[in-house]
Amino acid sequence: MSTLNAKRPVGLAVGVVILGFLAIAILGASWLSPYDPLKQQVSERLQKPSVEHPLGTDRFGRDVLSRTLHGGKNTLLASISALGAALAIGLVIGLVAGMYHGSILDTLLMRLIDVLLAFPFMVLAMILAALFGTSLLHLLIAVVSVWWVSFARLTRSVVLHAKSEVSFAAARVLGASNGTIICRELLPKAISPVLIMATFELGSLILSIAALSFLGLGAQPPSPEWGSMLSDGRDHFMQAPHILLGPALFIVLTVLAFNLIGEGLRDKLDPYEKSEL
Amino acid sequence: MYKNLMRKMLWACLTLFCATLILFVLIRLAPGDPIRLLLGPPADVAMIDTEAYDRKVNELRAHHGLDQPIVVQYVSWMKRLLQFELGASIHTGRDVGAEMMDRLPVTMLLSIAALALQIVLGLFFGTVSALRAGKVQDQAIRLACVTIASTPSFALGLVLLSFFAVTLGAYEISSDAGITRLWLPAATLGLMGAPPFIRIIRANLLSELGRTYVLSALSRGLDRKRVVRHALRNALLPLITLVALSLTMLVSGAVVIESIFSWPGIGKYALDSILLKDYPVIQGYALVMISVAILIHLLVDVVYAIMDPRIGRNREADLHEYA
Repeated sequence: MSTLNAKRPVGLAVGVVILGFLAIAILGASWLSPYDPLKQQVSERLQKPSVEHPLGTDRFGRDVLSRTLHGGKNTLLASISALGAALAIGLVIGLVAGMYHGSILDTLLMRLIDVLLAFPFMVLAMILAALFGTSLLHLLIAVVSVWWVSFARLTRSVVLHAKSEVSFAAARVLGASNGTIICRELLPKAISPVLIMATFELGSLILSIAALSFLGLGAQPPSPEWGSMLSDGRDHFMQAPHILLGPALFIVLTVLAFNLIGEGLRDKLDPYEKSEL
Repeated sequence: MYKNLMRKMLWACLTLFCATLILFVLIRLAPGDPIRLLLGPPADVAMIDTEAYDRKVNELRAHHGLDQPIVVQYVSWMKRLLQFELGASIHTGRDVGAEMMDRLPVTMLLSIAALALQIVLGLFFGTVSALRAGKVQDQAIRLACVTIASTPSFALGLVLLSFFAVTLGAYEISSDAGITRLWLPAATLGLMGAPPFIRIIRANLLSELGRTYVLSALSRGLDRKRVVRHALRNALLPLITLVALSLTMLVSGAVVIESIFSWPGIGKYALDSILLKDYPVIQGYALVMISVAILIHLLVDVVYAIMDPRIGRNREADLHEYA
């Protein structure tokens, strides 16, 4: 087992390095990208990758590399804010349900979670897109309304565990109010497992957004955004598969980075056997 | 056991009921008047005799019962649902229930083929990975897992499609659901879903191999292969939950792969309807999917109860672990 653990930090380091390069590429998009991401040049449409256009051009003759670099900011910002919202909702609901464990409120919240879990994510996202129109915002709302569930469940189980500890009893005896106990005792204990989980979830969240965007249910053109580039590229896949290459490659790298970091963090902070999963 | 099962079934019914409630509210909240959508804009601009148009809208609204209080509407909708009437598609006018039942088996076929592949891959690579824990094979398998888990399904699907259909010419792109067309989408979905199986089998097998019964069997000189086989059997029980999760994800999430390979399943049908704003179909699709998901979870409970009588009530806990 020792060799196993010795190999572990490599994953974390690789993840951080990939993320660092991505951050430089995305934040420095305006200096790094060779062309204006919105500039159309009809004479150069659907070109194959070449020296001038390393990832080729799309159907309006826009440079795919420049669009990918510029699009990263929108995509990542959208994904991270969706994750943040889901995390906040999940944390609050988990804390409340755990604090008032056994009450009607807790039962109701847990049943709501059960019902939401019965809705397969893709189905709910598709329904929302269908009913309220296709846009990135609606897609993000769909994502948040499903994603908070896993955070709430995790927080609740951490809280239930923490409530059996001595410090909790001590706070009670000292006459701390429920609010104080939630903020001072329970929240700090819940935050680190929830953040580790968030690192993993960010990867699968980006993948889900990408899949839905690919189906045409996410951001709409012309904004440079990985999702809308994907749905754009799908229509021209047979003539120009390279349009998809840029955003797909960046998505793989981003998700890979977050997965590696998440795995590394979990192994570092959670030494139990469960972490093998 | 039966009491427990009855309780689970009751919960399943209640969940389904809540789901219909949420769906109903969502559809009512959606912007746009369904009647006007159904009717379309006035056929002739000159004919925008608003009074006549409005009269027709009101007539149709009464005809569909949309002028009644919302509770009455819900009850009559539920009544029809209980008779498995999902209404007719706005676009084709065909019965949604019948269309769903035509396409669900096609999606099921793809999902089950993919699931079988996931299990086979999981068993093989998971066992290899556990037996060679920490060695090169293990590292390679884990690297492959994390890479596949980071790849969007459409990217893998498109890569495989262009390789087999364009480069090799071994795959024919058409829209019928023959066995000859099944293997590539099934392979894509199977590959995509394999990493969780590999990881869990590896982890469970490792923890089984660390138990004392393995040590004692080995120290008595039992054949190593046989010991591993025993440990593997014990390591497989928690897999049932993963199978259920995976099957639900496959059936509901096959949309992407179905649309890439133009596999005529339920997902592709739903996606086409969403882009056309065909509400009855979307509603029917959601209901069928939720029912399938609930049914699969119920089935898992039954299988668990049969296979391991110790697990009666604590399944929620280990579902959480793998979720």
